[in-house]
Amino acid sequence: MTLSLVLQALFAGVTNGIVYALVGMGLSAIFKGSRVINAMQGEFAVIGAMTTVLLLTKAGWPYAAAIAGGAIAGALVGAFIEVAFVRFMAKKNASEDSFLLLTIGLALSLSASILYFVGRDGHLLPPLGGEGVLIVMDAVIQFHALWLIAIGIGATLALRAFYHRTTIGLSMMAASIDADGAATTGINVARMRTFTFVLGGLLGALGGILVTPLIAVDYQLGLNLTLKGFAAAVLGGLTNPLGAAVGGITLGLVESLAIIGISSSYKDVVAFSVLIVIMILMPQGILGRAGRRGG
Amino acid sequence: MSLSSFIAKLAGATALVGLSAFGVQAQTSGEAIKIGAIVSVTGAGAGLGVPERNGLLLAEKDINAKGGIKGRPIKIIVEDDASNPDTALSKANDLIFGQKVQALLGPSLTASTVAVGGVTHANKIPQIAFTGIGPAVERDRKCVAHVLPPQRLNATALLEYAKSIKATKIGVLHDAGYGNVVMAELKPLADKYGVKLVAVEKFEIGATDTTTQAAKVKAAQPEAVFIIATSATPFRNVKQIQITQPVIAAIGSSSYEYVNAMGPAADNIVIPEFVVGEDPLPHQKAFVELYKQAYNSTPKNYEAAAWDAAHIIAAALNKAGADATGEKLCEAMKAPYAGVLANYDFSADDMTGIPITSFVFSKLVGGKYTRTPFRVAQ
Repeated sequence: MTLSLVLQALFAGVTNGIVYALVGMGLSAIFKGSRVINAMQGEFAVIGAMTTVLLLTKAGWPYAAAIAGGAIAGALVGAFIEVAFVRFMAKKNASEDSFLLLTIGLALSLSASILYFVGRDGHLLPPLGGEGVLIVMDAVIQFHALWLIAIGIGATLALRAFYHRTTIGLSMMAASIDADGAATTGINVARMRTFTFVLGGLLGALGGILVTPLIAVDYQLGLNLTLKGFAAAVLGGLTNPLGAAVGGITLGLVESLAIIGISSSYKDVVAFSVLIVIMILMPQGILGRAGRRGG
Repeated sequence: MSLSSFIAKLAGATALVGLSAFGVQAQTSGEAIKIGAIVSVTGAGAGLGVPERNGLLLAEKDINAKGGIKGRPIKIIVEDDASNPDTALSKANDLIFGQKVQALLGPSLTASTVAVGGVTHANKIPQIAFTGIGPAVERDRKCVAHVLPPQRLNATALLEYAKSIKATKIGVLHDAGYGNVVMAELKPLADKYGVKLVAVEKFEIGATDTTTQAAKVKAAQPEAVFIIATSATPFRNVKQIQITQPVIAAIGSSSYEYVNAMGPAADNIVIPEFVVGEDPLPHQKAFVELYKQAYNSTPKNYEAAAWDAAHIIAAALNKAGADATGEKLCEAMKAPYAGVLANYDFSADDMTGIPITSFVFSKLVGGKYTRTPFRVAQ
């Protein structure tokens, strides 16, 4: 095993980890704010990426505007799902399992609609920073991957600031910790739950847009992203969106180091064994306790 | 492509084929001879089943335009198994016992083929599957022909190309499904070709990143890289980490769908396959032209395989007679057949008989298929 190979594995691990983190953070933000396990978090990524692709190639928008359009599309779909389904079901005291079933159903329907309207083909977006690469000791990383890492870290810090510094963020946190208590202080709990879905949709879409210059997005990418994002979120502590960032990067690194350390045939066995050990030692997730205290 | 635009294209195709594609229209009359077909139009196998359905419908028009079976038209009843072997089995039962079809074409996927073969074999109904021969049980089913090569042949084709560029140290990137099956055949063959597999790296089906596996292959310093997968991801990763050695891809990645998703990575990749629609072999030209007129797109291997299957069964019906029993049809089918995809010989032990010489080797250049002059000598 050469140093260059280790470095290449680290590059790949962090890049993938940030993608898992963005999906996981959205999933965890929604869980924190609504107790809904969102099995369609990966579809937000597909919606964001596909909208950006269509705005860029079909509508001819400038790239930056298309990216903003894609992110807004993710946020709007998030809001729509809360208003059209979750709110309605919450009024009837739907259980957590019913919500899970709802989001699984939505994931399948959205994936099918994308197949119907956009087709089977995979689509790519132009890389940020062009096709250039950085070569460190024979290990290669795309400029785009560096952008992805930078934006991912930026989004994580922004999310933290949002929860701790802004009135809406604090209100969302209050509504999630104690809905009745928050309501008595004048917080509109239902609206906060809508915001939670907007935030989840936005983060998912951002992850999807950022990954599309690296891997082609198609109608069936969502489920894969949801599974990785879910593992990231649980690993980091489902109730703490910032934990998902830590969880995502841990998962990405464990996966890629398992390939060079042992064998690609046993990648998942090794990666998930490590995750099991982490979950046994830290059943609340890596940052789960912090989440219980309010993040 | 959306369903509505697909239907529109199909309608257009039907009209075109009916009006102009065939110069000479022969008259057919009498009761249609029913042939069943099962393809995966939806689900994971749709990338195979949709082109296969196109090939079948075009073949039906072609056969009927040329006089059908001794003047009687054929009717291909196409069913979708949704990529599910259980569904394939129940559709097969319905086609055979309900609709009383003379023969069965398809299915698209190996698991479905094995399931359906149980019924066709037991009831002596001729079947022509759009898969390469799979598990051992298929060896005993002497009335189930296959129009795609067995995986051993695909593995041989990869090694033949490696031999032609004098690459003896090979790195392999393969997925855990299709890739595993081809790998199992490739390993023992590599020794015979004097090829050393210096790195064999696996990734899960649907993996979104295989960079680290590709880096391990790169670190082993191979002279060429084999990619055996049904996705664009490993191709992108190989180029991203700047592997500059020749890349040879198994036929599974040969569809436009994957090549489009490769983006700029679809360059300098060689694929042993059969139909390069952009530059067809002389005997493939007529089919390619007809297909382009009908569907306004360029056909590849699966369209041609389905087209061949329909014509093979038509040839057997012409030989044995339209009312021949299944057993007689099976016997009539067991003969050499020069198809668009390949030169088959269904009397061969593998019920396929495709020679390695039928492979053509395409090369992706700037995202476009070109045909290389290389062919394997007999």
